Amino acid sequence: MNYVTKLAATALLATTALSGAAHAQDETFRFVMVSHIGSNDANMGWLTESLAAFEEKYPDVTTEYVSTNNYSVQEHVRLLEQAIATKPDGIAVPIVDADAFEGPLRKAIEMGIPVVAFNIPDARPVGERIPYLTYVGGDEYLTGLHLGEYALEQVAAGNIPQPTGVVCASHDAAHQGLKARCAGMKAAMEGTGAAFEELFIGAEPATARNTLQSYLQANPETNYIFTVAGWSSPWAWGVANDMGLSPDVDNEGVTVLTVDEAPVSIEGIRAGHLLAANSQGFWLQGYAPMEWLYWNKTLGYEPQSDILTGPVIINAENAEKWADLVRGVFGDEEYDNQNTW
Amino acid sequence: MTSTRQLAKSAGFGSVVGVALMLTAFTLIDFSGWWTARTISNVVHFSSILALIAMGQALVIISKEIDLSVGSVYGLTGIAFITFEHSLGVPGAVIAALAIAAVCGLLQGLAVVRGGLPSMIVTLGGLFTFRGIIYVWTGGSVRNFSEAARENWLTKLFGGEVFGIEAAVLWMLLMLAILSVVLKFTRFGNHLLATGGASDSAESRGVRIDRVKIITFVMCSVMAGFAGIVTLADQPQTHVTIGDLLELEAISAAVIGGCLLSGGRGSLIGAVLGAFIVTSFRYELIALGAPSSWFITFVGVVLIVAIIFNQKLARWAGHNV
Repeated sequence: MNYVTKLAATALLATTALSGAAHAQDETFRFVMVSHIGSNDANMGWLTESLAAFEEKYPDVTTEYVSTNNYSVQEHVRLLEQAIATKPDGIAVPIVDADAFEGPLRKAIEMGIPVVAFNIPDARPVGERIPYLTYVGGDEYLTGLHLGEYALEQVAAGNIPQPTGVVCASHDAAHQGLKARCAGMKAAMEGTGAAFEELFIGAEPATARNTLQSYLQANPETNYIFTVAGWSSPWAWGVANDMGLSPDVDNEGVTVLTVDEAPVSIEGIRAGHLLAANSQGFWLQGYAPMEWLYWNKTLGYEPQSDILTGPVIINAENAEKWADLVRGVFGDEEYDNQNTW
Repeated sequence: MTSTRQLAKSAGFGSVVGVALMLTAFTLIDFSGWWTARTISNVVHFSSILALIAMGQALVIISKEIDLSVGSVYGLTGIAFITFEHSLGVPGAVIAALAIAAVCGLLQGLAVVRGGLPSMIVTLGGLFTFRGIIYVWTGGSVRNFSEAARENWLTKLFGGEVFGIEAAVLWMLLMLAILSVVLKFTRFGNHLLATGGASDSAESRGVRIDRVKIITFVMCSVMAGFAGIVTLADQPQTHVTIGDLLELEAISAAVIGGCLLSGGRGSLIGAVLGAFIVTSFRYELIALGAPSSWFITFVGVVLIVAIIFNQKLARWAGHNV
């Protein structure tokens, strides 16, 4: 090959490579997050904020956030099927109900759409579960377990009473993640001799109060209430307070625990109404699934294990720092608005 | 004897029998758990809130329509009360919130009457629309109710206690008295019963059934909204799910209380007793250790039994059903 031929070949290769690179840069992706955290849940802000940050870093990706506005598995499945029908480049979805989601998600994966589970995993073993790329989120079981263990540490330190009865108050009877939180709390309390009950209180405030009141009246040994949503913790505290059960954090009466890094949880802890809550890294649960989908599409990455973003215990010692962090995300006005204590 | 027979033929008689049977059963099964001051107080308190909604629903059912939106109107009015308080103060917020409830009822009433649409479809649309407005308006979280607002005299009047009795109970009794007078002794009440019973005949006698139905929808929404304000004045810590599925409990209470879906027959005191039955069943089922999810099954069974009983009662009383 003479010099001219080599030069021509090099030029051709360079042109081909450059056009390929230009083509790669021109390629855009559309990822859809099909969530159960809708506009009826303030935690949606964490996810939408993180998706906006992701789009800023990866301008060749468009993200879409679609969600249910009620606690309905059927509605969620319908949204998921609609999202799959639009043939997105990737889907992030919480596995609220493995049986209900299995069909649509397996179909999506067979169609070549990569799926990342976020917030709630398929609880079955890896070989049996829906073959998504990875799970990004907290561990609901560990959330209940660690909160229970933290409570028992406080018992040992003499700060709160020994548990004699524990009720896990849930607003959604079909939500496997909430059931796992209750199961974790139950596991932590095993060996203490405390009775344990999972109580479906519903999401309607007055009905939930009425249900909890009835339970506490009929089960006077109950002295721990674990609300599996931050927004229902003031209801539990209010019911116990109305019944004269001394629900503030001290060495008598009822002790209330909850979840989430929401303003109502953090301020409940700071006011001495709640013992503890947890953070499951909501911001990361929005950002990280998108990043894994992107790396999978562009580089073929497949995570080798699930990625846990929580739980982290929020208690009286670190609540102030959490308040500063959350104020940074929601803004001072919104933070104060959401403090319903 | 005649008065006993008249009582037995009244629309609310089924609910009186229901309450008697229920209390007998609870007494036999769980005497010490049921007959405590705290249990009765709690049940009566929540029953009163549900009864406020159920009474409005009863009026609509008597007019041969139905309102599926009352849970969402209850929620929307409550959220409006909490939200407007910051800018309008408590009295202004109460007026604005009730005005919103009235507009909800008016729009639905107009759609049913002027649009000739079935009330079940119109108010189903209302249920979703008003719930959607709550979500969009709040962005998922209801704002707090200020300390000053909680101490306001009007807040105390709606949500406090009078001589140890919850204000909600007294408001319910007052509204029961007012609406009973309206239904039994006023021209409007007479027209309402006639509209639901035989609308063609009523119209031929000069009853403006369109106007009667629109007013009834407005009254129903205002009652639901008022219940929302009374609830939040007492317990302002709420969530966007406020009122979720309450429409089903309100309709159940009205039907258990003797309202016939075929219209023209119903009882406000029956609706109150129906609310008491629905609430008591939830309370006692949990107290007896049954999973709380069973409640809805029991309401379904009680509802079917009540409909059968009330229909037989209505036929015996000479109504065409």
